[in-house]
Amino acid sequence: MSRTCFHCGEAIPSNVALSARLNAGVQPVCCIGCQAAAEWIVTLGLGDYYRLRNVPAERAVEAADYSAWDRPQLQRLYVHNLADGGAEVCVLVEGLRCAACSWLIDRALRDLGGVRSVEVNPGARRVRIIWTRDDIALSGILHRLAQLGYLPHPCSAQALDALDQREARTALKRLVVAGLGMMQAMMYAVTLYAGAFEGIDPATRDFFRWIGLLVTTPVVVYAAQPFFVGAWRELRARTLGMDTTIALAIALIYLASFYETVTGGAQVYFDSASMFVFLLLGGRYLEMRTRRRAADVVDAFARLQPALALRRRMDGATETVGVHELEAGDVVVVAEGATMPADGTLLGKACEVDESLLTGESTPRARRRGEALIAGSMVRSGPVEMRVAHVGADTVLSSIVRLIERAQTERPHAAVLGDRIAARFVGGVLALTVLTAAAWLYVDPSRAFAASLAVLVVACPCAFALSVPVAYLRAASALARIGVLMPKSDALEKLARVDRIVFDKTGTLTRDRLELVGVDVAAGCSINECLRIAAALEHGSSHPFAAAVREAVSSERAIPKAESLQTIAGAGIEGRIAGRRYRIGRADFALALSAGATDDDNVVVLADERGALAHLRVRETLREEAATAIDGLRSQGLDIAMLSGDSDARARGIAMRLNITDFRARATPEAKLHALEQWRRQGAVVAMVGDGINDAPVLAGADVAIALGGGTQLAQSSADLVLASDRLDAIPAARALALTTLHVLKQNLYWAVAYNFASIPLAAFGFVPPWLAAIGMSASSLFVVLNSLRIVAQRPSTEAQAPAPTLAEAVPA
Amino acid sequence: MNIILVLIPLSLILLAAGIWAFFWGVNHAQFDDLDTPALIPLADDPPPVIARREGDGAP
Repeated sequence: MSRTCFHCGEAIPSNVALSARLNAGVQPVCCIGCQAAAEWIVTLGLGDYYRLRNVPAERAVEAADYSAWDRPQLQRLYVHNLADGGAEVCVLVEGLRCAACSWLIDRALRDLGGVRSVEVNPGARRVRIIWTRDDIALSGILHRLAQLGYLPHPCSAQALDALDQREARTALKRLVVAGLGMMQAMMYAVTLYAGAFEGIDPATRDFFRWIGLLVTTPVVVYAAQPFFVGAWRELRARTLGMDTTIALAIALIYLASFYETVTGGAQVYFDSASMFVFLLLGGRYLEMRTRRRAADVVDAFARLQPALALRRRMDGATETVGVHELEAGDVVVVAEGATMPADGTLLGKACEVDESLLTGESTPRARRRGEALIAGSMVRSGPVEMRVAHVGADTVLSSIVRLIERAQTERPHAAVLGDRIAARFVGGVLALTVLTAAAWLYVDPSRAFAASLAVLVVACPCAFALSVPVAYLRAASALARIGVLMPKSDALEKLARVDRIVFDKTGTLTRDRLELVGVDVAAGCSINECLRIAAALEHGSSHPFAAAVREAVSSERAIPKAESLQTIAGAGIEGRIAGRRYRIGRADFALALSAGATDDDNVVVLADERGALAHLRVRETLREEAATAIDGLRSQGLDIAMLSGDSDARARGIAMRLNITDFRARATPEAKLHALEQWRRQGAVVAMVGDGINDAPVLAGADVAIALGGGTQLAQSSADLVLASDRLDAIPAARALALTTLHVLKQNLYWAVAYNFASIPLAAFGFVPPWLAAIGMSASSLFVVLNSLRIVAQRPSTEAQAPAPTLAEAVPA
Repeated sequence: MNIILVLIPLSLILLAAGIWAFFWGVNHAQFDDLDTPALIPLADDPPPVIARREGDGAP
């Protein structure tokens, strides 16, 4: 006697001796795939399936081999190593569509030993997994996903594109089939309605009904497929979702009409069925477009990294290698117009690079020899050579992509809450439908079907479930466009509630450099002469002041040669030019050669043996956009404050230039934290802006931490918002956006709730025919999606307030 | 009225042909990007990079 497979029912070849261990005992199976599927279904506690089913399952496809993912060369591109032996990967999952899927995946993966955390985002079809390397291999995790029937894909640009393309094409085909089918079905329906009033002979009526059935069948079988698949998923996961109600409604309308056609009954609803499918697909199509537009930003990031690089060999010749083969220390050649394959430092002459996709800044930036280049930036003048420093997942680009992906994978509280309410709501709707049907059967059986159908259709909580994710996705993409990344999904909500914004001074309001604002020369000296002497003395110095002086003297040829230069730390520099001794630095140091003088942080004195030659007044360079940003925030009604660890005079100077009245100088990190705490205790919601690295502990003490981006430390930053554009004026724009988003979100939710509460009673009492219910439900979903499209970021104006003219511009060399 | 017995099947055949043509178009990337092709005739010349590469290629 030939044995049959327990799972798929096919005959088991005689040379196979596999069995599945199930609760009910050991059962023979035909292949690994079926074994896995059967064991899996029972492990999930769904073993009843085997008792209840009357048709064997599809033969499960054996999961592909994922061991290639364990190769270090491949992992380096996709896997991010954590400090404690853990690793993080983002996987694109095919067939992931709804909250039930994410529940299934979440539970299945968490059961694996070694998997620390799983975060599933059905909207972006991404799963972020953190696991311990020693306990489980990446291939094992991917294998488990494949076993579930969700095919995992590497999160690379190509896979993303192909999947997107296939999804978009299929959606378009379904939409058009549904649309054309709907038009035809409605035409025939008009004939039938007219016939019902004017009289029609039964043969013609039946002819039109059969034709209607003919055009509606592909709409239901092909176009409506996603809803049935989704409902099946929800059923398997034992949750209730929107797809269940939709699939139920479509199937009910279609089957009832089918029955009426065959038996020559009273009424057919083919037009309603196809319209329902078309309108729903239309809503989903729009949602998909919105979602993809939001995901485009991430895709653009992912696509930035080229697949191949030109590496210079030891003998000087170049060879083309895959980017994943690059290692730190390699020298690569990047042609003009090409993108950097890895992070590194520039070798050879200066060049211009376009980092717009990373920072939102469209003007090319100049990079000098030895300066850092970032993977993904485009070379505007080349070719250039660079020495590779970081590759793959360690690059800045990768960390930015990871930040965005994390933001996408983490679902905001509001969305989680929405899902939970929706599931409960669906249960209520189903109960209400049954109740309506029962009541009408008692009162007027002929209207029972139409009324209960209307309840089912009109009450579908699509709008409710859509409102939160669409608004958030839209906001995240709008933020990314102005160069603001949102690693924490709740940041938006908190940002909207902020009423006090605190800036760190150094590195945040100011840049790490000084500028020369004036030179007071002693009688008989020329400004240019003094500046040249100063520049000569400061020639080799790395002090910010030296850079300021060098900047002021634009022509380097005029600088004389200084000899026996001596740097006295914390005081200044002494040197000899053309036989004369000069000193530059703090007044007490410089004038020690002659007489004493006053002490001021902001004045540097140039002196020779006879006395002061010049007082050079310097000040910290403000960020160009600082003033506009602060004005913008103030006009939004926020209190502005500044905390600085610097001296009182410096802090006061900056505060006065920016019109900030509330500032604290000489603040230690503890004092800063204390100040934040004090404000918070007074009831203020405080946002703190800092440069992310030095200010990390202080940032953690604020309600909303905003870090200025750039640099590799980005990935470690614990900030709620990261200004990747490195521009402060993105803050007012981001806050305005947060306010709009919350506003839109509230509107969406009110609308969804109001619509459902208003329409359900009407439908239950039989005032709403099924076709009107279909229009109402789809219109409310469309309203939510279109309303969310209003969330658009106002790009901060690029013309920041012109900085006060510095000496470099004022004085000819 | 018997004409509808001819016209309606005819319309259905045309509909099927239309859907087939549309599917063909979708499968051949005609609907993947609806924005870019409109801009192509507005672009000036082919980018100079191509021209130079041709020049470099000939020794």
